[in-house]
Amino acid sequence: MEIQKPEVAKNPEIEDTIELTKQRRHDEVEDCDEQRHKQHQAEEDEEDELRKLLLSDIGELPISPPSATQVNFVSYFITDFTKSGHDQYIYRHANGLCVIGLAPTHIAFKDEGGITSVDFNVGKSDRSVLKVSGKRKKNALRSESNTALCKVSTAKDSYIVRCCVKGSLLEVNERLIKQPELLNSSADREGYIAIIMPRPADWTKNKESLITLEEYKEKKQMSL
Amino acid sequence: MSADTEPASGDSAGLPNGFVSHGDSKTRRVYETARSLHSGAVKDLLSLGVCERCIFRLVAVEAFDSDISSVSTSTLRSWLNTVADETGSSESGCSRICIVCLGILQFVFSDAKKELVKSDSSSDYVARITDLVKQDRHEFDSFGLEVSVPSTIMENERAVLSYLKGKYSTEVWLQRDKISVKDALKVLLLDQLKASLGAESDSSSFHIRLTYSKASDEAQGASETTHESKRRKTDADNGSNCISENSFEKVYEPCIFSVHCNKMPIFFSGRYFKYSRNVSQSRWIIDDERMGEASVEEILGGNILPACLGDSYKFHAAGREDIDVRMLGSGRPFLIEVQNSRQCPSEQSLKEVEEKINNSEKKLVGVKDLKCIGSQCWAMMREGEAEKQKQYVALVWISRPLEEKDFNSVSSLKELKILQKTPVRVLHRRSPLDREKIIHWMKIEKIKGHAHYFLLHLCTQAGTYIKEFVHGDLGRTTPSMGSILGCRAEIIQLDVTDVKMGDS
Repeated sequence: MEIQKPEVAKNPEIEDTIELTKQRRHDEVEDCDEQRHKQHQAEEDEEDELRKLLLSDIGELPISPPSATQVNFVSYFITDFTKSGHDQYIYRHANGLCVIGLAPTHIAFKDEGGITSVDFNVGKSDRSVLKVSGKRKKNALRSESNTALCKVSTAKDSYIVRCCVKGSLLEVNERLIKQPELLNSSADREGYIAIIMPRPADWTKNKESLITLEEYKEKKQMSL
Repeated sequence: MSADTEPASGDSAGLPNGFVSHGDSKTRRVYETARSLHSGAVKDLLSLGVCERCIFRLVAVEAFDSDISSVSTSTLRSWLNTVADETGSSESGCSRICIVCLGILQFVFSDAKKELVKSDSSSDYVARITDLVKQDRHEFDSFGLEVSVPSTIMENERAVLSYLKGKYSTEVWLQRDKISVKDALKVLLLDQLKASLGAESDSSSFHIRLTYSKASDEAQGASETTHESKRRKTDADNGSNCISENSFEKVYEPCIFSVHCNKMPIFFSGRYFKYSRNVSQSRWIIDDERMGEASVEEILGGNILPACLGDSYKFHAAGREDIDVRMLGSGRPFLIEVQNSRQCPSEQSLKEVEEKINNSEKKLVGVKDLKCIGSQCWAMMREGEAEKQKQYVALVWISRPLEEKDFNSVSSLKELKILQKTPVRVLHRRSPLDREKIIHWMKIEKIKGHAHYFLLHLCTQAGTYIKEFVHGDLGRTTPSMGSILGCRAEIIQLDVTDVKMGDS
């Protein structure tokens, strides 16, 4: 708030009046400032409260916390599926959806140079062009466990990757077409192959042919 | 008609032999109307078993108005008997249930215990209704009166009118539109009910509903029994079927009567805080097991409902957060809708509800600005939903140590566009779509002594999946925190710190 400097009057009465006015204006400005100051203080207090809450909740911070996948999914594996060395993982979410991908011991990774290309055009249709829509997942391909998902190729050979789980094919990872190297660097995350939604009854039956993470580790130790 | 039955000035009415010892102007008017009724029609209807007030409704030329409510059933009966030159006493006539209105306009009904309840006058009937309304303990200044009657009543009336038209087709009084049983009941009761309840009548938020339902399959009335004879006369003359007196059967049971009071829902608004990572927003039960230890909905609704003495509540919030995400800062706007509240809680009692929730032992949920709100509540809710920005703080871990340049690479990104495929964790119940969202700004805050952890402050468009933005959701959200920093990133915990509404 601006205080205009009043002109000094010659008349003492008027001078007094001006003086008084000046004083009042000064008080008003102080009040304004005080109000703003109070508001500021209140806001700061609120922010402090918030910070205390935010920081108080930080508990132990382990060096390497479990990943989102480990927390939200249960890991299953299947080894030598239809052919020797074709090892795949099935990560099942609490909501029933299954993420399918290549397990680290898959034979394709043993080839020099790793995986160089991925082709989803297998079986009767190109899996990368399917358009599933709506909550009811219309147009999803109903697949059996041995339905082909894609073909991964290395410098040496090519291998068919299959569903392993009976259900509706909701999505394939089309990023693999342009970036097949994702399979080499992170097959268990960005390099996933597909997402399948099995019916509860189908999953119960399917589960019997799968092994857990512990069993997988044991199996693979033995063969090394 | 003898002069004895004329009303004279004096006190109370209704002597059994037809003498009326007093008449105020209302009673006198009704008496005059009674005298002018077509005696043949009255005689016919009385012998068919139509009640006094229905006869007035169907035969009188004058409009059916509340003056009639001041005359007792037995008095009306005696006047009509005189008009029809009947010598039978009023008592025997009164005990028959009307074949048109099934006892409704006779103030006769079966109560919940299936016992017959009779009221000779409208004031007695109003007193009974008032008692039933008071039992429900509603507080109200005004009410809307609703009446629900069995559908056969309309058919009964049509059948009786057809019969009358058959006999008295040329009569003037037959040509007028007749007031319905429903409306007639309202006319009879409304003024006295207003006085007895001490309230106004309007189309208010509080309704008193008088429900009459058929006692059993036998209590049909005129319509059912005449159906047979109607079918026999197929095309013939439209509406001039000759229904004979014999086609109307007696009605043995009156309607079952009940009174229901209902108040339109009232709304409370406020902002809630969620301090626990084990409390869901709404009640969440899977396979008979509750997820989380409580819900915001039940804590808020469960405390507000008793203050209103309501039947039930519904919870609406401007957006939602996961069970493991805290809601801090300015709180999230919500509405509680209370069904059939008996009283509107005072400001003081709302303050007490707030204090009870905020000072509870476990401190799971907090609330502020709790107040009663009117119809503008929905506009307020919509404001908080789709268009607004939300602010968060996330505890993030990365696979490599934090570097100086990271602070800038993150805070320099303003209005960052990201593309999110429907997250895997909700893909089972949502459409597979690619959603473009905007991250308005981000800021990294170091945590002392931990090189791999930091606090990420961010402000995003409503509808953004924060957790997926941090860990990338298998590469289905791009860019993600990990791709921006060039390493793996995981979200350890998340807090909502601001839900912006309007200008706040």
